Amino acid sequence: MLGAFVRAFRTPDLRNKLLFTLFILTIFRLGSVIPAPGVNSAAIRDQMEQVQAADDAGIYALVNLFSGGALLQLAVFALGIMPYITASIIINLLTVVIPRLETLKKEGQAGQGKITQYTRYLTLALAVLQATSIVAMARTGQLFQGQIRPETYLPDQSILTLVTIVFVMTAGTGIIMWFGELITERGVGNGMSLLIFTQVIAVFPSSIMGLWEEQDTWLFALICVAGLVLITGVVFMEQAQRRIPVQYAKRMVGRRMYGGSSTYIPLKVNQAGIIPVIFASSLLYLPQLAIGLLGEDSSNPVVRFLQEYFVGGTHPVYMATFFFLIVGFAFFYVAITFNPAEVAENMKKYGGFIPGIRPGRPTAEYLDFVLTRLTTPGSLYLGLIALLPMIALGTAGAQQGFPFGGTSILIMVGVGLDTVKQIESHLQQRNYEGFLR
Amino acid sequence: MGLWAGAIETGVRERTGVSRRYPCVVFGRMAESVRRLLGKPGAVDLRPYTKLLESIEAREPELRELTDAELSEKAIELGNAELPYESTDLVELCATGREAARRALGERPFDVQLLGVMALLDGHIAEMATGEGKTLSGALAAAGFALRGKRVHILSVNDYLARRDAEWMRPLYEFMGVTVSWIGEESTREERKTAYGAEIAYASVSELGFDVLRDRMATHEDERVVPEPEIALIDEADSVLVDEARVPLVLAGAAESTEADLEMAEIVRTLKPGAHYEVDEEGRNVQLTDAGIDAVEEKLGDVDLYDENDTSVLPRVNLALHAHVLLQRDVHYVVRDGVVRLINESRGRIALLQRWPDGLQAAVEAKERVDVSETGEVLDSITVQSLVVRYPTRCGMTGTAMAVADQLREFYELEVAVIPPNKPNIRVDEKNRLYATREEKEDALVAEVASVHESGRPILIGTQDVSESELLAKRLAEEGLECVVLNAKNDADEAAIIAEAGTYGAITVSTQMAGRGTDIRLGGSEMGDRDRVVEAGGLYVMGFGRYPSSRLDDQLRGRAGRQGDPGSSIFFVSLDDDLVANHAPETRGYTAEADGEITDPAWRGMVDHAQRVAESQILDIHRNTWRYNQLIDVQRSVVLEQREEVLRNELGDRQLAVDCAATHAELVEEVGAEEVARAARLVTLYYLDRGWTEHNAFLAELREGIHLRFLGRRDPLDEFNRDAVPAFKGFLDEARVRAAEAFSELEVGEDGNIDVTSVGVKRPSMTWTYMVHDHPFSSALENMVGKLKGRARAGG
Repeated sequence: MLGAFVRAFRTPDLRNKLLFTLFILTIFRLGSVIPAPGVNSAAIRDQMEQVQAADDAGIYALVNLFSGGALLQLAVFALGIMPYITASIIINLLTVVIPRLETLKKEGQAGQGKITQYTRYLTLALAVLQATSIVAMARTGQLFQGQIRPETYLPDQSILTLVTIVFVMTAGTGIIMWFGELITERGVGNGMSLLIFTQVIAVFPSSIMGLWEEQDTWLFALICVAGLVLITGVVFMEQAQRRIPVQYAKRMVGRRMYGGSSTYIPLKVNQAGIIPVIFASSLLYLPQLAIGLLGEDSSNPVVRFLQEYFVGGTHPVYMATFFFLIVGFAFFYVAITFNPAEVAENMKKYGGFIPGIRPGRPTAEYLDFVLTRLTTPGSLYLGLIALLPMIALGTAGAQQGFPFGGTSILIMVGVGLDTVKQIESHLQQRNYEGFLR
Repeated sequence: MGLWAGAIETGVRERTGVSRRYPCVVFGRMAESVRRLLGKPGAVDLRPYTKLLESIEAREPELRELTDAELSEKAIELGNAELPYESTDLVELCATGREAARRALGERPFDVQLLGVMALLDGHIAEMATGEGKTLSGALAAAGFALRGKRVHILSVNDYLARRDAEWMRPLYEFMGVTVSWIGEESTREERKTAYGAEIAYASVSELGFDVLRDRMATHEDERVVPEPEIALIDEADSVLVDEARVPLVLAGAAESTEADLEMAEIVRTLKPGAHYEVDEEGRNVQLTDAGIDAVEEKLGDVDLYDENDTSVLPRVNLALHAHVLLQRDVHYVVRDGVVRLINESRGRIALLQRWPDGLQAAVEAKERVDVSETGEVLDSITVQSLVVRYPTRCGMTGTAMAVADQLREFYELEVAVIPPNKPNIRVDEKNRLYATREEKEDALVAEVASVHESGRPILIGTQDVSESELLAKRLAEEGLECVVLNAKNDADEAAIIAEAGTYGAITVSTQMAGRGTDIRLGGSEMGDRDRVVEAGGLYVMGFGRYPSSRLDDQLRGRAGRQGDPGSSIFFVSLDDDLVANHAPETRGYTAEADGEITDPAWRGMVDHAQRVAESQILDIHRNTWRYNQLIDVQRSVVLEQREEVLRNELGDRQLAVDCAATHAELVEEVGAEEVARAARLVTLYYLDRGWTEHNAFLAELREGIHLRFLGRRDPLDEFNRDAVPAFKGFLDEARVRAAEAFSELEVGEDGNIDVTSVGVKRPSMTWTYMVHDHPFSSALENMVGKLKGRARAGG
């Protein structure tokens, strides 16, 4: 892996791409710590520690994760990449529902271009919405759960200032979107993924510092080792695949019979990726939302019930629900993205088969069987990884800031692996002679 | 992450094309973007050229006074400088060329034709409507390049046009003091060599491609016919660069012969369609049903076709089945003198130098119970894209380029110059007529033909393919409407026929490619009763179904309204048409008029949508071919570079002198250094080529199944590169080791020369060629990739 990077930096073309990517990521980080006009950031930083102590795992942490911790700072890039992701998900789902989008999607480049355009507009709309709600919350002090008085960090609360903040944040999102595309276009890797990656790892140094200050040396070392083991484990699981050999029994090649070795369906143990975790987190955000709507009136039995089991995040019922939701979504997601019958039908149509298995239905059944057997451990793994920070919170007594949260590690490893693979591929395509001679 | 990756990717891809194409000079870039903002997107600014027209015109009186010899002298004088042309020289070139064309051909080029010449000389694609005189523009530009010492290859779509244009323009070239020649299918190696060496050579794209491929197999420097590429001028540029670009030209050589698989041929003969096997809608693939598998297994004596340990039977079954079901005698091939001969489907005539690949030929021969000939093996292939990109300077002309301007820029770095017509186009393009079923469409078209024919107005009907054109002609004949059918079976005859399509009362049915490059003049080629035809309304072009791209539609339309002639065009479409049925989301629930016509605009929009879907699929295939070929091209160039060293600098001899020092020294003593060098060259080249052929087969195999990786969320292209690179590692070393092994066993034959065949070194006894159009196995595969991708994106 390291070798790949060294070689990459020796290739002028690729070096420029890498440097460009790093450059954009740096600007992105810079923008995430520059406060929006009218915000007194020093006041926020002063009181940050108190807030963090009260911070709980769950959706708030998730939002925070995706926006790289900047949300709390009312920065220019405070909204981060989240609006774009939400917009993409919404548009993707709408594509299934709205025929017009579906037809556009099929028209290839031009149609896709239009869909992308819609996604951008929606992103901006969402950004305005989110920025407004953040500013509103900031004004009433809700943003920091009332722990910091709004006057300290928003000295001037005139409409003009507030609108300016909303405007700046929305523009920030637009710029981030552009950054992402710039990276994909001129740099390496998928821009959006890399931006999330940056947001995720941006909180690492501070949380590790926090740990170092609060925990004793042995526990700190233990947590670090545990983190490394965890990352290794996730890398291992993310790479794990079952290769189902496929043969195309149509051609007969001269003397050598090729095939078998290079043609296969790689089925991943974690075929669903990180999506089930995101779905489950979003779903578990609903109870909190309900409480917000019903008011925090503890006499209401529904509210009491929800508050006891579904807020907090460390309650066994919450954890169990989270876990089972993830497992369920993993199966659901694999089912909608991988249709064994369709794959089998396509293979049959073009003369492909799995050695030892008849084409058509037997092949579909076989694929289904293998997929189910893979997804079972895969989904359990996903659930466990996602639960880890909560378990750590509950047991190890690590009061806060366990840096190796499940979701962050999944994102980190996923994006990291993808990007390294892409660099490798670039290398192989470009610097060909360098390898051979 | 996959959920949003799709959306993001496409957003960016759409932009990438834009950013690279300007020079980095900021100022020029700004001016450029402003111009682009105002003008047609992607078009070249014609103003610098139009400015010169006046000066060109002004030179005319003086040039008219010159004698022929003096005029030639003027032209040759232009060769005293280097490319590119300064504007004064450009004026001189155009003026001299115009006068030369007037004297040599009796045609004085219009201003717009000269604009085309200037655009071509700047390396652009000149978009000139049908009948505007592209050939002459091309010829003047070619002469311009040739005068300045560059060799020009003019690429045509077929042999007929290559020959016709070369002969037609020859007087002009001679006048301007440059040599011209052409290459056809029947040209011998010597003829080709001389022809390519001329200052201007006309050749069809496929002839050139196959010559390049054959040159790559040469064992001696002198065997090669195609010189270093300098300038390519491409006629019908969109068709060559876009439509044909995804089609690799393949050179195959005879490998050893296989046994006739008569047993399997017999078995598949007993199978029943429907029950035992089924054919897909496109008639491209055939599969056994479960009952069919049972039947075959039983007849073979209880073998398991899908046995893990022995997968050798299934390919035999598939080949026999393919030969039996999908290839029909007298449609796809004929049997003559006990030999199976292919019929080129798109041209409808026997293709001597074509065979089916990968054992299919033998399967057909077994089916027909004739002797099995040698089986072929792919030696190498080249895409039209790689072929054209070899030329440092490229330009071309066509009637329809703007629609593919993006692709021309993305893949070839070419810009389009839109040349206005000499006289404004007054053709009337009527709205499509949409019908529910094919029968209703045909009825309506026939009725329309009958009523228009009464007025004596000439009619040209464009069909999708050969069989459709024949069916339609039969139907018209039944209705008492006599018509001529053109289906690109014989380019020369058909050119003569289509030239008469504008005759009073003529009805011509044609396929897309038929008669390309030949003008339809109103009133026939001699324009005898032109006035009568003009009065009737000029040529009436009818499309029997829309083509897979709007560009092809426009080409058909462009047949009418030539040079300001009157004319009109109309398309008859039905929901049954392949284009609509395969690409539209929904083809039911319409409301039709009594005669079956559908007037609802939403449904008309559906046809346009279907066409856009088809266009984007074709583009995807093109882009895919391009991407996958990049790495292959790099690997190939490594092999070719090595080959070049062996050919020119006796690298093989030097290597073998080290690797097999003993044998080498011994042989030198016996037969002399020169003969040993020859043998060393042959042996080394053989193993280089052998290795490349094997590697090629591996890559083809890898490519075929690589789309499956997408199911594991891997990018198939990355995966392809990842697997192809290690497979090529050590390629040159391995070839060297194999050559050394063979060399150490060499012996001197009876004639006193080294006998290389004794160690298995032999060239393919014959080679033949095919375009992957005709390659029955890979056709629809690309589609599947698209489908899988589409699905995975929809879900994730």
